[in-house]
Amino acid sequence: MIWQFDLILLTLVVIFALISLRVKDLMGASIVFGAYSFLMCLIWAGMGAVDVAFTEAAVGAGVSTVFMIATIYNTGRMIKPRPQDMSFKLLMMLVVVITGAFLLTAVNDFPEWGDPYSPVNDHVAAYYLTHSMSDTAVPNVVTSVLADYRSFDTMFETAVVFVALIGIYGIIRRRRKQDDSDSDTDALPPYDPSESLIIRQASRMMVPFMQIFALYVVAHGHHSPGGGFQGGVILGASLILYSMSYNLPTLFKKMTEKWIILLSAIGVLIFSGVGVICMMLGSNFLDYSVLSQILPATDSVMARSHAMLIVEIGVAFTVMCAMVGIYTSLASNGRFDKGL
Amino acid sequence: MSTQAPVLMIIAPLIASIFITLIGWFRPKFSHPIAVISLLISSIASIQVFQMVLSNGPQQYFLGNWPAPFGIEYVIDHLNSLLLVTISVVATLVALYAKRSVEKELPDKLANYYTLFVLLVTGLLGISITGDAFNLYVLLEIAALTSYALIAFAKGRSLMATFNYVMMGSIGACFYLLGVGYLFIKTGTLNMTNLSQILVSLHMSQAVLVGFVLIILGMWVKMAFFPVHGWLSNAYTYAPTASTCLIAPLMTKVSVYVMIRVMTSVFSTEYVFNHLSWHLVVVAMASVAILVGSMMALSQRDLKKCMTYLVVAEIGYMVGGAWLGNPAGMTGATYHIIADAAMTACLFMAVGCIIYKHGHTSLDTMKGIFRKMPLTMLGFVVGMLSMIGVPPTCGFFSKWYLISGAIEAGQWHFMLALLFSSLVNAIIFFRIIEIGFFGSLGSETPDPHEHQDVAVKEAPLSMVLPMLVVAGALIGIGIYTSDIISLVIQPLISATF
Repeated sequence: MIWQFDLILLTLVVIFALISLRVKDLMGASIVFGAYSFLMCLIWAGMGAVDVAFTEAAVGAGVSTVFMIATIYNTGRMIKPRPQDMSFKLLMMLVVVITGAFLLTAVNDFPEWGDPYSPVNDHVAAYYLTHSMSDTAVPNVVTSVLADYRSFDTMFETAVVFVALIGIYGIIRRRRKQDDSDSDTDALPPYDPSESLIIRQASRMMVPFMQIFALYVVAHGHHSPGGGFQGGVILGASLILYSMSYNLPTLFKKMTEKWIILLSAIGVLIFSGVGVICMMLGSNFLDYSVLSQILPATDSVMARSHAMLIVEIGVAFTVMCAMVGIYTSLASNGRFDKGL
Repeated sequence: MSTQAPVLMIIAPLIASIFITLIGWFRPKFSHPIAVISLLISSIASIQVFQMVLSNGPQQYFLGNWPAPFGIEYVIDHLNSLLLVTISVVATLVALYAKRSVEKELPDKLANYYTLFVLLVTGLLGISITGDAFNLYVLLEIAALTSYALIAFAKGRSLMATFNYVMMGSIGACFYLLGVGYLFIKTGTLNMTNLSQILVSLHMSQAVLVGFVLIILGMWVKMAFFPVHGWLSNAYTYAPTASTCLIAPLMTKVSVYVMIRVMTSVFSTEYVFNHLSWHLVVVAMASVAILVGSMMALSQRDLKKCMTYLVVAEIGYMVGGAWLGNPAGMTGATYHIIADAAMTACLFMAVGCIIYKHGHTSLDTMKGIFRKMPLTMLGFVVGMLSMIGVPPTCGFFSKWYLISGAIEAGQWHFMLALLFSSLVNAIIFFRIIEIGFFGSLGSETPDPHEHQDVAVKEAPLSMVLPMLVVAGALIGIGIYTSDIISLVIQPLISATF
């Protein structure tokens, strides 16, 4: 960590945050917000948290900006400020300032950044660092903590993504019969991407490479930053790019609404299924080591490593489908036929 | 299999949710049976665990067989074992109850609805059972996201109410996470037992103080404690019936449980009541919460909305009791978590039955409701008596312990607030009796159909029966109070004070 870089990045983060709050055009605000996420990603990378930076770049700067744009497309682009909101905003600002000041009172009490003898580095993390290789044969400790030592958390994080998809889908999905009645009242503005030849050709070339890279990220998570979440987001982003450069019906020809929902459920099933198999083999839930009984040519340590790959694939399924499903729900305003 | 019971209780609904989505896409009507079966498995597992705790003391379960604090650990002790039974049994009953109501209100979303329904129960059980501060946050997220969606499914006014709930809920969850982060920086562990061992030597640390305050504030937002209670009423009022019946009794109670868990197991009563000496300020806030909740309830003209404000008042009971800083108050608070879960479930289920038949719950149109729906109103009366605190019901005993705790601590305003709240509940109760029992049916409604059915027009049996079971449980819990106190709460209190 170089303090000059950090100073510049943190200053920019604050400036970008303020800009995205001030801009009246929501499209602009969400793009500035995406830039803010990207700066955060640089900060994480500078701190050595490369996996976090990866996720921030894929989710924060990438997909969530697209979600916001899809929402803006179906709602409205400009804020209409109301003067009576001002007093409320000032009150909230006071609350935020007080909370921030309270948080800052503890800063002096924190250990030095990067102190190897601080409690965080000394206690549980030290065990992970020294035992990850011998316990699980996975050199990327982040992956072994995420997908083995604390895999139960990760399983539920996957379930959270699944819940987000089912929730958004369930809330804004409209059935056909309703669709007919109000199709005139809030018809979408026409959007004809047929002229955008350059975008189409460029994305046609990019999508396959993105998907191959995503598969690499999923499969190589044991040895390098990445894993199911990041790979799944990139897979989802490639499909979103495909649908944006053509249109939604083109995407639905490749991947229907039904498969989006079913595959996302299957992803969680893969993860929890591995846990249940471990239980059936006579050990605790998600104790991968007993899988050596059914996986060919593995000892209990390699079984952990292989099982991590299986659950990462499950995570990638769910995350990919959730990204595509949330995007298509928002972009088509719940109709699943046309849209952005 | 009994050694796997702790985790079985959590993953049965999780896996059921996947199959509800998979099978429900093709055959929506199978969604409900799968949900009920998985919740039954959960209930049986939770009762098994409860018996194990009673006979052998606290139980541990290591997920992935990683010993704590390196892996995630489930700890079932006296505090949460009974809560787990309550959650799973109430959820099973609500699931049975939900069938007809969901079919009527959300006919084209059965699969999505039950997927989220069982996942919410997974989240609530997971929050209550875990011995890991971060695992708790993950499950808190599951419970929060599912409850947002379950409320927003009603469309219309529920959407704006959900939006407010999402904002407040996210702030609450963020505060909790930040607080856990602060504790992690100072201790390097997320395991609650391990945290409490390390925190003993860190009482003077400012970062630990900030972490504690953030966690407690986050939970207050989540449970709708007084200054931040605004989101609760509308969210619960405009939600689908079955969602309210599941969320109102359980969600806020689980937040109260987390608060008590953090106060007693992560920190210690020594730290909370002796080192920090502002617990009496919290009791004063709780008194205000009870007063505000009761007053707002009194001013409502809609029964469901009135009940949601009673929930706000009840939160005041539990927070106040937990912060009184003496064994009687803590006994009252922990007992009231169980009692209030059953009471609110009973009341909202009765209100749901009225909505099912009546369409809405405006007090003015409830004339003759007692004659029209006698069984529903029987359940409602039992629930309301428990709210007031009439002896055979469990509401009396929790109020008894809370008031004796208040007297012991010399917090007269808390005692007065409790009595005032009882009084208000009685007024609301008699108002409903006046309108529903003595008000003649249909005198203001010119609709001839209303006149013909002066006789019984009861909600379906699948709705009335679960409600009556809960109503019976209110009396049952009341009768077995001394056993609950001596077997479950006493070991807990003696361990913490």
